[in-house]
Amino acid sequence: MDFNYSDLQRMLLDSAERFIAEHFTLERRRHLRDSGSGLDDTAWNTFAELGWLALAIPDEFGGLGGSPADVSVLAAALGSKCVSQPFVTTAVQGVHFLANAEVPRTELLEQIAGGTARLALVHTEPGERYANAEKRQTQLKPDGQDFRLTGQKFFAPDAALATHFVVSAELPGEGFALVLVEAGADGIDSVNYPLIDGSRASDIAFNGTAVSLDAILAKGPDAAALLVDAQDKAMTARLAQAVGSMEEILRICSSYLKERKQFGQQIGKFQALQHIMADMFVATHQSRSALYQALANSDKDRAARSKALALAGITIGEASQLVSRQGIQLHGGYGVTDEYEISHHYRYLLTLEKIAGDIDHHIRRASGT
Amino acid sequence: MVRDAIAQDLPPRLQERQRRFAGNQSEPGDTMEWTRILAGRGWTVPHWPVEYGGCGWSPMQLFVFQDELIRAGAPDSCWGGTHMCGPVIYTFGSEEQKAKFLPAIRNGDYFWAQGFSEPGNGSDLANLRTAAVRNGDVYVVNGQKIWTSCAWASEWGFFLVRTDPTVKPQRGISFLLIDLKSPGITIRRIPQINGEAELCEVFLDNVEVPVGNLVGEEGQGWTYAKFLLDHERTTSSFIYFNKAAVELAKAVAASRTLDGVTLDRHPRFQGRIAQLEAEVTALEWSVLRVLANEHFQYPEAAAASVLKIVGSRLQQALSELHVDLMGAESLRLYPAEVAERPIRSSLWSEESEYLTSRALILRAATIYGGSLQIQKNIIAKIAFDL
Repeated sequence: MDFNYSDLQRMLLDSAERFIAEHFTLERRRHLRDSGSGLDDTAWNTFAELGWLALAIPDEFGGLGGSPADVSVLAAALGSKCVSQPFVTTAVQGVHFLANAEVPRTELLEQIAGGTARLALVHTEPGERYANAEKRQTQLKPDGQDFRLTGQKFFAPDAALATHFVVSAELPGEGFALVLVEAGADGIDSVNYPLIDGSRASDIAFNGTAVSLDAILAKGPDAAALLVDAQDKAMTARLAQAVGSMEEILRICSSYLKERKQFGQQIGKFQALQHIMADMFVATHQSRSALYQALANSDKDRAARSKALALAGITIGEASQLVSRQGIQLHGGYGVTDEYEISHHYRYLLTLEKIAGDIDHHIRRASGT
Repeated sequence: MVRDAIAQDLPPRLQERQRRFAGNQSEPGDTMEWTRILAGRGWTVPHWPVEYGGCGWSPMQLFVFQDELIRAGAPDSCWGGTHMCGPVIYTFGSEEQKAKFLPAIRNGDYFWAQGFSEPGNGSDLANLRTAAVRNGDVYVVNGQKIWTSCAWASEWGFFLVRTDPTVKPQRGISFLLIDLKSPGITIRRIPQINGEAELCEVFLDNVEVPVGNLVGEEGQGWTYAKFLLDHERTTSSFIYFNKAAVELAKAVAASRTLDGVTLDRHPRFQGRIAQLEAEVTALEWSVLRVLANEHFQYPEAAAASVLKIVGSRLQQALSELHVDLMGAESLRLYPAEVAERPIRSSLWSEESEYLTSRALILRAATIYGGSLQIQKNIIAKIAFDL
């Protein structure tokens, strides 16, 4: 096994770290959060120019054909500055849907690579908690050759910034289906709201939205498998973002312990705080190991891959809690202000843990219940 | 009887605002409105000596009364006045100070801010630097305070200031009452992790404070501050809040389903609720032992540190549980102020509006009022002489 970065990963990391550190300052992120749509147009264009939006697109569709390990290098760099731009939903999860649909969506993949299209999964329905490919209340009703989409969806991350939705629905005679819908289509009512990490999510009602036959990405068992695979890819990237965030917390906190003085000395001289720092290091180290374990299994069969990912989800979820909570504790009162980085990492890690499957979800998945 | 009286007096609007509040203490306007209502019954400072307006109740009766207030969903009292500087004033203050401030605290005339911590001196409070220099009839105060809750809404503050830089740090500190509308005071609200900005920085630039506002003797401020903290030995357990938080967790769990079963029937959540209920129950009895003046084998302050350690950790653990029970629903950001929140759709629970916000700011529970690490140092030192 080789745990060192490949040449491609090293190049990716160098460009990512430089751009992300310079661009996503705390001040900029607070501004993005508090104004407009939450989308950073300048950054998104740069993502496209640097090839990041094409990274996960297979070579055959004009992408860079990057592996989950390659994606995770970039995701960790985004995590280090709590970047909540819709990278994972579009360039990882969305790309998987389009590239692996019954008929791959080449044109839309090109638009994603170019930064002009963004995709969101619109799947969860009211009252659901981390739904799988279960029976949908949302219906695709035949209308001549085509269909009408009707139903209420709940909590769709990044949908407010998306140009297209991947919507799950019940298709008569086929069961579970995934369809591609333009965000601006008629008969869509969205309520958008901010999340604690600065991103946006939406509740979306489809009121007889027209859907053509060729908008169906997949149906039946294929659609269920496509959903799981796409969500797993997104989960892998989110775990990498969490690892990046935790590693940055180690850097931030160790600097703070050297800089802050109380009782006439650096607070880092106090053993109680040294041990907290050491615990955070242990948890972060284990998290990167857990990520590698998930990545090493990412090309295995679905069951093995899911188990590996669930185990990584447990380890990284719990580590995220320990590291972010103690990170605040080490900062004292400054830790709970919006003006210090650490509270942003706290909210970012909490969001990553809960947005698409929490620790409890991973435990149930790992234990097969 | 008390329960009926509270139910009769508490306006539904205040009760609703308190139920939906997003921080770890009520909004100052709600606090003052409720204090003025409660003053009608003479119940704002029941723990004070009767001569200053107290009710003459036993510690157990006071405990039950506080519990009833929380159960009823009443706003908090202005703790800085009723439980912090009030007792210092009636114990150490001059007759003029008693006559001026005690009725005002009782009746809810002023909101009080606490000016102790400084940017460079949090845990190491004894080294505070804000200087008060005597000049005729006034002290001229210069310096900066931080983490002053609700200073923006406060009329008065009680401050620890350095009046003598030449002696041992603890001996050079004095306790000053400062009118926050005085010239030279600038207050900046600090944006917080949960979207509130209750915590403030207070800048004092040549603020003139009449010498009559010095409480007790010059140089005794540290003693008074310790008195004030010792006086409220059981407060830091937040026992009433923790009990209410257990019930809230049960309600949140019972109102959500997973695989067709409510969350309070799922073993992991069931287990967490039971474990936390066990800890809260033990904490309540630890509080009662202090209230009953049990003779401890170890110094009483060690028992008080137990209450602070367990109480703050439980506040956090229970708020973490609330958030975990909500799942992804916990991630939505709402305005901290109730009136600014969007009209709730039927897709969202009411508790999603405030439980995450509370959990976020409760990360400070193990930091303020003597951090978890400081409390452990205290126990090691005073209980075991380590």
